Amino acid sequence: MDEWNPNPAVKPHKKRSWYLAWKYKLMNQRALRKLCQTGAVLFLLVTVIVNIKLILDTRRAAYEEEEEYAQDYDDEVLNVEVARHPVSNKKILDVEVYSSRSKVYVAVDGTTVLEDEAREQGRGIHVIVLNQATGHVMAKRVFDTYSPHEDEAMVLFLNMVARGRILIFTIKDEGSFHLKDTAKNVLKSLGSQVAPFLSWRDMWTFVGKKGGEVYGEKHTKSPALSTWGDPVLLKTEVHLTSVEDAECHWPDTELNRRRKRFCSKVEGYGSVCSCKDPTPIEFNPDPLKDNKVFNVPVAVIAGNRPNYLYRMLRSLLSAQGVNPQMITVFIDGYYEEPMDVVELFGLSGIQHTPISIKNARVSQHYKASLTATFNLFPDAKFAVVLEEDLDISVDFFSFLSQSIHLLEEDESLYCISAWNDQGYEHTAEDPSLLYRVETMPGLGWVLRKSLYKDELEPKWPTPEKLWDWDMWMRMPEQRKGRECIIPDISRSYHFGIVGLNMNGYFHEAYFKKHKFNTVPNVQLKNVGSLRKDAYETEIHRLLGEAEVLDHSKNPCEDSFVPDTEGRVYVMFIRMEQEADFTTWTQLAKCLHIWDLDVRGNHKGLWRIFRKKNHFLVVGVPASPYSSKKPSSVTPIYIEPPAKEEGAAAVPAVPAAEQT
Amino acid sequence: MQKINKNVILALLSLTSLVFLLFQLYNYKFYLSKNGAVFSKVRGSQSGQHSTRWHVVRKFLGLISSHNIPVYLIDPLILGLVDKDIEQIRSSSDVPSPECKYFCAPRDFTTFALLDKTWKHEIGLFRTAEKMGFQWLKIINKDPRLDGIDDLSGIEIPLHYIFKLSSHAIHLVVFYERSGNYLWHGPLRLKQHMDRKFVPFQKLHFGRYPGAYEKPELLLVSIDDLKVQIPKNPSSFLEEMSHSRFLECRYREAQAFVQLYPDDASLDVVEFRKRAKSLLHLAALILNSLGVKFWLSSGTCLGWYRQCNVIPYSKDVDLGVFIRDYKADIIPAFQKAGLPLKHKFGKVEDSLELSFQGEDDVKLDIFFFYEEDDHIWNGGTQAKSGKKFKYLFPKFTLCWTEFIELKVHVPCETLQYVETNYGPDWKVPVKMWDWKSSPYNVQYSGVWPVDEWDDVIQIY
Repeated sequence: MDEWNPNPAVKPHKKRSWYLAWKYKLMNQRALRKLCQTGAVLFLLVTVIVNIKLILDTRRAAYEEEEEYAQDYDDEVLNVEVARHPVSNKKILDVEVYSSRSKVYVAVDGTTVLEDEAREQGRGIHVIVLNQATGHVMAKRVFDTYSPHEDEAMVLFLNMVARGRILIFTIKDEGSFHLKDTAKNVLKSLGSQVAPFLSWRDMWTFVGKKGGEVYGEKHTKSPALSTWGDPVLLKTEVHLTSVEDAECHWPDTELNRRRKRFCSKVEGYGSVCSCKDPTPIEFNPDPLKDNKVFNVPVAVIAGNRPNYLYRMLRSLLSAQGVNPQMITVFIDGYYEEPMDVVELFGLSGIQHTPISIKNARVSQHYKASLTATFNLFPDAKFAVVLEEDLDISVDFFSFLSQSIHLLEEDESLYCISAWNDQGYEHTAEDPSLLYRVETMPGLGWVLRKSLYKDELEPKWPTPEKLWDWDMWMRMPEQRKGRECIIPDISRSYHFGIVGLNMNGYFHEAYFKKHKFNTVPNVQLKNVGSLRKDAYETEIHRLLGEAEVLDHSKNPCEDSFVPDTEGRVYVMFIRMEQEADFTTWTQLAKCLHIWDLDVRGNHKGLWRIFRKKNHFLVVGVPASPYSSKKPSSVTPIYIEPPAKEEGAAAVPAVPAAEQT
Repeated sequence: MQKINKNVILALLSLTSLVFLLFQLYNYKFYLSKNGAVFSKVRGSQSGQHSTRWHVVRKFLGLISSHNIPVYLIDPLILGLVDKDIEQIRSSSDVPSPECKYFCAPRDFTTFALLDKTWKHEIGLFRTAEKMGFQWLKIINKDPRLDGIDDLSGIEIPLHYIFKLSSHAIHLVVFYERSGNYLWHGPLRLKQHMDRKFVPFQKLHFGRYPGAYEKPELLLVSIDDLKVQIPKNPSSFLEEMSHSRFLECRYREAQAFVQLYPDDASLDVVEFRKRAKSLLHLAALILNSLGVKFWLSSGTCLGWYRQCNVIPYSKDVDLGVFIRDYKADIIPAFQKAGLPLKHKFGKVEDSLELSFQGEDDVKLDIFFFYEEDDHIWNGGTQAKSGKKFKYLFPKFTLCWTEFIELKVHVPCETLQYVETNYGPDWKVPVKMWDWKSSPYNVQYSGVWPVDEWDDVIQIY
């Protein structure tokens, strides 16, 4: 660069003259000039090369970086965030409520949040709960107050809703027939002026804040018994409050943050969301000593019954020896509320896209859930399978911990189940007693991984076969003569009323009176005797000690069994071959135990309790225990009722399903 | 005048060039400084930099131990250094070290591993981290353990965490246990909204691909006055790391295949698959214990690639082994495990192939592969005629995958491998298969000399 600087020694008086002088000087020094020229050319070349190199370098560096991100570290799937509901800063909500004989709808700010115009469905009072700060729907219920007891459920629900929430009511078809005064008073206390006078086939809409103002109410009277009131459309405005006001001020902990999220989204879970003294969502039950099932995964199979799931998870998480980290809830369908419940308890939940209809869907959901469970816990040898409509006994895990080794050692076992099909209030007595049965009760059971992976999974019924998974599992091709271990007193309780194959009558008749263990830490008796051969010895011992009852009496009568306690009695019924359950079914019917199909048998032997005595029933001559029958005793035979009569007696439900 | 002009032009050109050069230099510098804003390349205060790294690691270890989270060191750089002094480190546990030898080594990251099932995903950890001054980034993605199951939409699981403090960052790789008794870590993929400049991601040692590892034995050591868990044998961990790349089965394509060609679920097939599975598991056990590296080949590989399962109408399990890994113990080891040798074709120098008889007619074929400059081949022999066949493959490397609850190798370039072997129509099931003519890459390669037959054609 120096050559381009003027010689500092030369002091030009004028720029132009300096240049000329310099030029002249250069021209006179050819050698120097040549040198300068070559130098300049060389320099030019060098700078060009360096320039090009620099450009390339910069470009490469920039490109490399982009490339790296673009190719290796970018998620190939475009993860476009699903646009959330635009959080409107609007302070006022427009609410439209419609009530009529065949249709109801509710629209909030133009969005329909309820629409029901299905025939023969949705009769009664529809209730919607909105968050007073956001306007989001927190709960949607329909109470068929045309039918008895539904008004009680509604009162229960309304009492659980937090103060300040916005309540919307509308009647479809009929909602007053069984709406009792208690319920009417509750509605009145919410500010309704019409509710106390609601009558047959009136149409009614009401919008109000719990414990606050009324935003609107409209009502039409039914002019005559045979006609309905005119359709009612209520349009009103609701003023939103600030988020602060809508929330409780719980101490800021991880648990309360979960609670807060839950309580701002859904309603109808009662004290879990109350501002003062909310019910705990962490239970910390006593750990079990030497817990053999601490690392056994627990799969909870759920549908869209979030209230059931809530009740179920509470009981599960309160059971001694529970390990929340091993619990996964599998939800059949993209339902938000069950997932909210799962998150409230800090558990992990997985949703399953419905792929087929009804029973087959349940069955495919089971398969996906079981496969997923063993994938998520590759070390597990077993999995506990539970359903959302079960209460779990406090000693559920203790029961499993004491018995699970049987499943490991005894190849002739199919499962361990917490449920005794015949364990009713009047037929189950001993919490420490276990049985072996040829049927598979389900309702809280343990599945062996090898059974699932090697046998069940590969041939699980495909969706087009509309089979119940549990019926399929009970088929001889699957069960292959293996048995299940069950307790005398069930460790689970089936509380579900609304289910695929469930209705109120069915539940009342077959599940309500089921015995459920509430004693913690029950020490199981003589678990080793449940092994295949040991169990035979045990049965022979029992039969040896059993007193033969008077076979001339009617076995259905209470007097058939003497008024004793703690004795062992045996009776013999007629059972021509292995599949002849004629007499047993009649006996089960009159004893008010499970009679829809045959449950709880072991080689033609049933074991239950009657009047606190162990009561054995042996089917003669099909049972190998028939040899214990004294020759003087004639096995009892009960004639089944004539066909028509039988059809009337049996409720119209699909046989024996327990979903 | 002309000469003058030339000079002027020259001068002007040079000036422009100079200006441009300066501009480029500035640009380059600017780019560098932007790129390495945090991880400045300028080695101003070496010692300060050193101790920063050590301090960040110490803080991080404090953070995780306060939450009882067991992590272990998997940083290849530090493990490399540690490995050199492993004996000394093992023996001297609590002696204060005179100099910061390992954790001060120049690097941008320190990498730790975390076993997913050993912690409960408490959010508290991150709150504490923030209080300590860490910035953190969580990278989540789909749970591959649920990928093979129809229509399950699992929660996304955390795969990587990055904790950044001043000029150093901790990369925490989350390992998951998977069916087949191995550990898996996911790839690191940034989602749209993520900060691409959080750290220079391309310099991370883990995350370019998913990886599969054995469950490591751990050792608690004290290095540079920090107590930390490391793999008991760092050198074998590093060796494992160098070829840990994992390929997920193509579950979605497999589902599409099953829709097109519904799976046969007859009892025979269920039974065959069960036997094939136990045979493969047994073979893997034997070969692994001998230290013989093998991969799924032929029909078994096709089954994995096409339908993530054993092809129902195949009759055998096929494995490939490089001839350099051949060991004379292979045959006795299989026989000892109850798998008698059915036939042995070829010899170690040429076209070796072993067949063992599993239970109930399921056969295990081990083909030995010979590497040439530009291709790899294995041989076949027809017993009755002594004819030789050659199957040519393009060169490939090996990746891990999971197949019927087993961690096993497959060629990384699987598509190429399968296409070479089965042709472009490999997606269409072919039930009538002739090993001498059906393969796409078969070549006739002469006849064994009759005097060698006794040696190269052994049938039992």
